[in-house]
Parts: sequence; C-alpha cells; structure tokens
Amino acid sequence: MDPALLHVLHQALFGALAAAGFGVLFNIGPKTLGWAMAAGALALTVRTLGQNAGWSLEAASFAAALAASSAVRFVRMWLGAARNSVALAGCIPMVPGAFMSQAILGLLAVTAPQPENEIAIFVMAMEYLLRVAFTLGAIGAGLAIPTYLLRTRDF
Amino acid sequence: MTDSADPVLTKHRELERIAMVALRAARLFLESGARVKVVHEGAELIVKGFGVSCVGMRAGYASHEITVSHGQNTITRMTAVGPHGVNHRLDHALRALCVRVSQGGMTVDEIDREIDRLTRETARYHPAVVAVAVGIACASFGQLLGIDWVATGPVLVAGTVGQFVRHALRQRHLNYYVIAAVVAFVAAALGGFGARAFGSTTVPLSMMASILLLVPGVPATNAQLDIMDGYPSMGSARAVTVVMVMVFATVGVWLAEFTLGMH
Repeated sequence: MDPALLHVLHQALFGALAAAGFGVLFNIGPKTLGWAMAAGALALTVRTLGQNAGWSLEAASFAAALAASSAVRFVRMWLGAARNSVALAGCIPMVPGAFMSQAILGLLAVTAPQPENEIAIFVMAMEYLLRVAFTLGAIGAGLAIPTYLLRTRDF
Repeated sequence: MTDSADPVLTKHRELERIAMVALRAARLFLESGARVKVVHEGAELIVKGFGVSCVGMRAGYASHEITVSHGQNTITRMTAVGPHGVNHRLDHALRALCVRVSQGGMTVDEIDREIDRLTRETARYHPAVVAVAVGIACASFGQLLGIDWVATGPVLVAGTVGQFVRHALRQRHLNYYVIAAVVAFVAAALGGFGARAFGSTTVPLSMMASILLLVPGVPATNAQLDIMDGYPSMGSARAVTVVMVMVFATVGVWLAEFTLGMH
C-alpha cells in the first residue's frame, strides 16, 4: 500500500480512538461516541492531508476543525444539539498539549543556573509556545465559524 | 399586615424561587463544561416558562448571578459554582429539561425534583472504564505524536494509572492544580520507565503522551468560544486555568525526568 495513504489511515484510526477515549472521559453516551470517533477520524484525515500538501500545522488544524464542525451539521437529524460536542470531541486529538509542555520545559531549561545553548533553547521554547497559541486559535476558529454561519434553533 | 398577606412580598418570594431554580440549572451547566451562551440560554428558558423576564445574568468562574423581573418586582440572586468538569450527558439532559420548562406547566418544586433526579440518575461510565478509555486515548495521542510501537503499551498503562490516580485524588477534594502535578509525575514516570524498559527510542515523547489526559481541551476551546460569544471575562478565566494546569503538569513531567535521571 502507498506509504502516504497508510500514514493517513494511521492518523485517522488513532484520531478516532483518541476522540473516543476523551469522549468517555467527557461522559458522551455510547450512541454518540461513534459519531465522535467519526469526527476524530475526519479531523485527523483532513489535517494529515493538509500537512502532506505542505500546509503548516496551524492551517491544517484550522481546515480539520472546519471540516469536522461543518460535517456534523449534515447529521443534525441524528445528533441534534449534541453535534457541537461531537465536533469538539473530534478535535481534541489535535490540541497541542505536548507542545505546551515542551515549551514550558524549554523555558525552565533557559532559567537553569548554567544553561547550555540558551538562545537556541529559548527560540525553540518560544516557537512551541507560539505554535500552541496559533493551533488552539485555529481549532477554535474552525469549530466556531460554521456554528455562527449555519445557526439553528436547537438547544 | 403580615408578610404572607403582602402581595409585594409574596411576588418577591415567588420571583426568588424562580431565580434560584434557574441559578441551580446554570450552576450545573457550568459544572458540566457548558459554554456561557448555553448557560444563559438555559436559565432564560426556565425563567420564560414562568412568564417572568430575565433582566440580565453574569457568569463568573466561581459564581453566577441572575436578575429577574415581573411587573414592578425585580430580584437579583447569586449562587456559588463548584469545580468545572465536563459531563456531556448531564449537560444535554439539562438542556432538554430547560426546553420542557419553557413550554410552561411545571412548578418550581417539580423542576427542583427533576434536577435532583437528573444529577442522581444521569448515566456515567464506571471509573475503571473511564481509566482504560483514557489510557487508550493517551496511547493514540502518542501514535499521533510519533512514538514507536514498543512505547505504546507503557503509555496506555501510564494513562490508565494516571486517570485512576486523578479519580482517587478528586474524591479526596485535593486542589485541582496539585492533582495535575501529581498525575503528571506518576503518568510520565511510568510511561518513561516502561518505554525505556522495552527499548523505545522515543522515551521523552512517550512521557509527554502519558500526561495528555491532563490537557484541558474543552476549557481551552470554550475559552475562545466564550470570548467570541461576548463573554471575555469568563473566557479569560478559563484560559488562565488552562495555562495553570499545563504549568503544574509540566512540573510533574520535570520531576519524572529528574527521577528517571534525564537531567
């Protein structure tokens, strides 16, 4: 099988599993959990395809969140008001928590008594920090835009 | 004139009960991880069900206020809000109740009883199921980050144990941020130790993946959505808690790295 396709399938599978795992933590019901897995698979597929096409992580995350948030509007009849939570659960695997920790660890290393390569470490930590901020912003914007453009009266 | 015979006082007491039951729903919404817009809409639906108008609401991170009025009478009440969690099924059961109340015909006592029933009976997964699911989520996160296959099992175990520890510490009402540090230490140390024992070449990444159960994804996105909805104070409060959780989680990872001799 084509390695690029295999990579997309790998990311989609683990995106779905991560979304399901977090769905259980968020007490999403068993029936809705399947939709959360589908949203996770879709989001990670779009993000991976975007990154394979040379997009930045932030741009690919935005497209992925936009796709997940738009897709749940088409299954409104089954999901009702739960669709926003499903889209959110699907996007949780893209939250850059590891970058945040690496950024803070980098800043801790800069403030050590005798740091080595402190400028390089600081630049790397700031890069991680900015990526966290931009990626979180991109996910939030991607989730929100369809919600505002395609308003419904569901509560 | 006695209190009970005074129509103004009687009206105030009725308004107070309506305000308090709307606040109770609002508090539960916030504790279930709902956006402020949902909290306000839910409380307004309840108030509307009694033919009373909602003058305004203020959602704070630790308290919620509502002002309701009917005719010449206006009343403002406030309630404390407990720890913010995420409970999707309770959130949606409450939404359905708010819609029912808005259609009229329910008394305050009936709503109170229904809220009692929902908080008591809304289904939750067994803590063991949640722990294993969280372990699977961490291992999946690890695969997305690029850990090698031999590290996947240790990360799954570390995430599962981390969630067990988090659940146990929450039962003891330990500080939210201290829990983050303890869980991060336990999960990162276990994940790192296991990955190293199995000959993984991605030990630091495995340690990061093991603590991803702590990433406050819902508050992080809610923070942004609250700001977009026009509630910047709540959005900022949520964003600050996200940063604080990650700072404490990083302290746990740093201690785990120190314990494993990585510094």
